[in-house]
Amino acid sequence: MKKKYIFLFVLLAVVGLVAGALLAPRLMSHTDSTLPPGGDFTLDSADGPVSLVSLRGKVVLIYFGYASCPDVCPTSLALIATALHALTPAERERVRVLFVSVDPARDTPARLKPYAAHFHPDIIGVTAQASVLGEMARRYGAAFSYTPVSSATGYVVDHTSSTAVVAPNGRLVELLPHATAPPEIVAAIRHVLR
Amino acid sequence: MTRTRAFVIAFTTGLAAAPALWAAGAADHIQTTDPSVRVVPTGQDQTAAYLTLRNNDKQDHSVVKAASPAARVTELHTVVDEGGMKKMRPVPKMDIKAGSETKLQPGGLHIMLIGLKQPLREGTHVTITLTFEDGSSRNISAPVRAITAPSAMKPGH
Repeated sequence: MKKKYIFLFVLLAVVGLVAGALLAPRLMSHTDSTLPPGGDFTLDSADGPVSLVSLRGKVVLIYFGYASCPDVCPTSLALIATALHALTPAERERVRVLFVSVDPARDTPARLKPYAAHFHPDIIGVTAQASVLGEMARRYGAAFSYTPVSSATGYVVDHTSSTAVVAPNGRLVELLPHATAPPEIVAAIRHVLR
Repeated sequence: MTRTRAFVIAFTTGLAAAPALWAAGAADHIQTTDPSVRVVPTGQDQTAAYLTLRNNDKQDHSVVKAASPAARVTELHTVVDEGGMKKMRPVPKMDIKAGSETKLQPGGLHIMLIGLKQPLREGTHVTITLTFEDGSSRNISAPVRAITAPSAMKPGH
């Protein structure tokens, strides 16, 4: 009798191990588990409120920065613009880029409109109250803080510089690191456009 | 005055002036190449200027100041990467070590022009005066360009 139970126990253990090995890749999807949750938001633009839900069906790239940033933000937006230029008109129609200014004190929606358009017509400048921005940034893996400096510029905004990629179904699918080259940005867009 | 006295005065003046005339200042040992100023959207009044500095001397030199008639204030800045955050900070000087190169480029050291007096147009030039640690200075004429990333700044790209 004991031998039968031992055999059964070992058999079940083996079956369990095999099943676990087969299921593990699905259960431990590293991309999903390291990504922040993303989710809906509504921010202000010169042409009215912009919500992620209203952009359903489009690939949305989100970059956090500020217009007085002379170096990092223009570099990132120029790279994104280069990527947009590389898309076909049909692809471009399904992509929107949000430049989220985390410096609402200086960047009003009205000031952000020409700033964003300078880089590309499909980049929309948006902002909100700092508290709203803080909560949204956290959900998109971004952070920012205001630092006074002894400079004529008064204060600088320290910020992360990754670009969030949101799929047409509204899900955050990728965070592109700072200065990702245009071909990689194009690939990331095309990957979720299909 | 007597001829002898005049001669002594002339000789002493020449001797005193000789170091200033014959000794090269830091600026004489620094080569500046690839200057550029980033064009910014209208409505923004701050931008960054970049260039490469090469020190051909046997001693270290530094840029301690920058000035430009194009902006109300000109400062030396850098961008520090700390914990994934990009942090722009003013710096007191930019060192160029003996025999080597210091590159001002996007994401790092740059000259910040604050309070642009007029919108910058691509293709025009901005004069920037760099002052070195010994007071010597160099004027550079930086073309206004749409700058993407460090690799896009070299001529011919």
